[in-house]
Order: sequence, then structure tokens, then C-alpha cells
Amino acid sequence: MEGSSDAVIVARVLRGDVEAYRTLVERYRDQYARYAVHMLGNREDAEEALQDAFTRAYRSLARCEDPERFSAWLFRILVNRCRTMGARRGRRARTFVVDESALTSAAVDHPADGNAWREEIDRALQRLRPEQREAFLLKYVEELGYDEMSRLTGVGVSALKMRVMRACDRLRELLSEVHSA
Amino acid sequence: MDRIARELRQPVRVSSSLDDRVMSAVRQVPPHARASLWSRLTTPRSVMVTPLTWGVLAASLALFAALGAAHAYQDVHRAAAPIAKALFPKADTPQRAQRVQFVLVAPDAKKVAVVGDFNGWDASHAAFQAKHRGGGVWSVTAPVPVGHHRYSFVVDDSVWVADPTAPRAVDNDFGMPNSALVVPNPE
Repeated sequence: MEGSSDAVIVARVLRGDVEAYRTLVERYRDQYARYAVHMLGNREDAEEALQDAFTRAYRSLARCEDPERFSAWLFRILVNRCRTMGARRGRRARTFVVDESALTSAAVDHPADGNAWREEIDRALQRLRPEQREAFLLKYVEELGYDEMSRLTGVGVSALKMRVMRACDRLRELLSEVHSA
Repeated sequence: MDRIARELRQPVRVSSSLDDRVMSAVRQVPPHARASLWSRLTTPRSVMVTPLTWGVLAASLALFAALGAAHAYQDVHRAAAPIAKALFPKADTPQRAQRVQFVLVAPDAKKVAVVGDFNGWDASHAAFQAKHRGGGVWSVTAPVPVGHHRYSFVVDDSVWVADPTAPRAVDNDFGMPNSALVVPNPE
């Protein structure tokens, strides 16, 4: 089962083998956790988005048109869940901390230390507008092409390029403020 | 910007208990195999078959088509009989027969007979036993009713041979070679 293709596992699940789905969860859990954590800014919400995405994907599995590309289909669901949760978070006006353990250690580290640098990046990332953060993460972290980003998000290529450019400008601005302070 | 991206590309691990939570949630969802009949019928799926499966499938389809054609022929024939009787009363009279000569070149044969729908496919029918005329030529002349017929030669009581000089019948009775014969009405 470990070495089976996504399509084979999807077929088994659709035949009623519920436990086969665990292989897909293990296969994509960490890969997509990165996007969710960066997008939502904390592990608690990221895990909730991931669980929700996996459950929704399971429920709609029969509608997955190309089981060979299950991962791309799942990622699209996750991107949408992160959007929804991000909007909900905005309404709650919560303050997010990226990683509690990293933050605790960063508090006593020198700013030049790796943890501190990472913390500043995460803080700057969370200060981007959600659509800019989404475009930046898909382009620079998930390393998708603009066409694939467009299919995934339903946003035109030109608009995505503009969002990425603005995200980069804003990140440079925020991080240079930190270094000049 | 590349430095920022490199930092953000570092793996992020979440709690492995997430798997259990997901599996617990999906177990609450009705299993896919128990989905509605309609969704199961309308959901596309991949089917893997071996060449042997294809062979069995093709043979089954051929058998099914042949049986269907035979039944359809009988049904049409049965339904058309009263109409034909009303339109062509003469057709109700016993069919006349014509004498037909069957010839087969079979130099190595010890015995040759003609079987067909006109003699009940009986290889021992006395009127249809061919005689050796010399040079490997076997022939028999026998009465055959007016109409369309299927027939074949049986060599040495075991080998069915279609008449090489006659057109091949479409329906070959599932493997046995048959020839087609039309005996015209003498009128």
C-alpha cells in the first residue's frame, strides 16, 4: 500500500476500504502542513484546516476526476479551507503567533540568530494581505507556475503576478524596517 | 527574496495524531461502496483487464450476438408466417425439391458425406453419401427443397469442410464451417 499510486489507493477507498485512506493522509500531511501553517500563522488552525480538507476530500472522493492527480485536487481543497479560515480569523481579530516553541526560544536569542530571523519572516508574512500571502507562498514556497496557480485559485495570471510582486515589495519593506531598527 | 523562500521551504511537521483525527472523522462518513446505486453507476472508474479477460469477453459477446440473431430470426419468421400465408396462398403448398449435385475434391478422404439443414445435419443420411469418382473427386446428387440452405461436407466422419466452390454462410454454427446454397423454384 505504501508504494501504491494515489489512483490505486483512491480506487480501494471508493470500493469501501476506508482504512486505505490513511496512506493518503500520511503521504500528504506534512507536505501540505507547511502551506497551511504559513498561510494561517499557527499550527492549531493549520491542523484544523488540514483535517477539514482531508475529510472533505474523502467525502467528495467519487468526484475526483483524475485520481492520479489526487494531491493537486486535495491541495485545491486545502487552499480554499485556508481562505475560509483566514477570513474567519480576520473577523475574530486574533493575534497570531507562528510557532509557540520557536517564539519562546526566539525571545532569548540574539536577533542575528536563525530563530529570530525566522520569526521576523513569519511575522512579516502574517502582515501581508491574505491574497498576497497566498500568491507569494504558492509561487516562492510551493514553487508553482503561474498557470497552475491560476487553475488552483481561479485568479487570472496577471492578477497573480501583481499580487506576488506586491507581496515581495512589502516583505522587503517589513524586513528592512526590522534590520534598520 | 530567495533567502526568505528557502527559510519558508523548510519542512513543517504537525502532530501525528492528526492522522487519527482524520481517520476518526472519515469513519463517520458512509463508506463509498455503500453509496447510492445511481452515484455508483454514474461514477467513472478505471478497469484493468488481462488479455485472457478480453478473449472471454469477446467470445461471450459473439455467442450472445449469435443467439440473439437466431432468436430474432425465429421470431420474425414466426410473425411473418400468417401474413405470408394470407398474401401468398401457394406458398402453403409443400415445397418442391430440386436435385443438386455436391462435389468435393478430397484425395486423402476415405468417406465423404453432405450434411445440411435439409437432412437434419445427419452425416449418416443415405441419400447424401458421396461416392469417389476417381482422382480424389467425390460427388453425390440428392434432392434438396427449394429455398435457402446451409450445408457442409463431413470427411471421414470427423472433419467438417465448407464447399470451396460455394459462398460461406454467415452463421457458422459456432465454429463449424458452412456453405450457403440457394435452390431456385423451377417455375
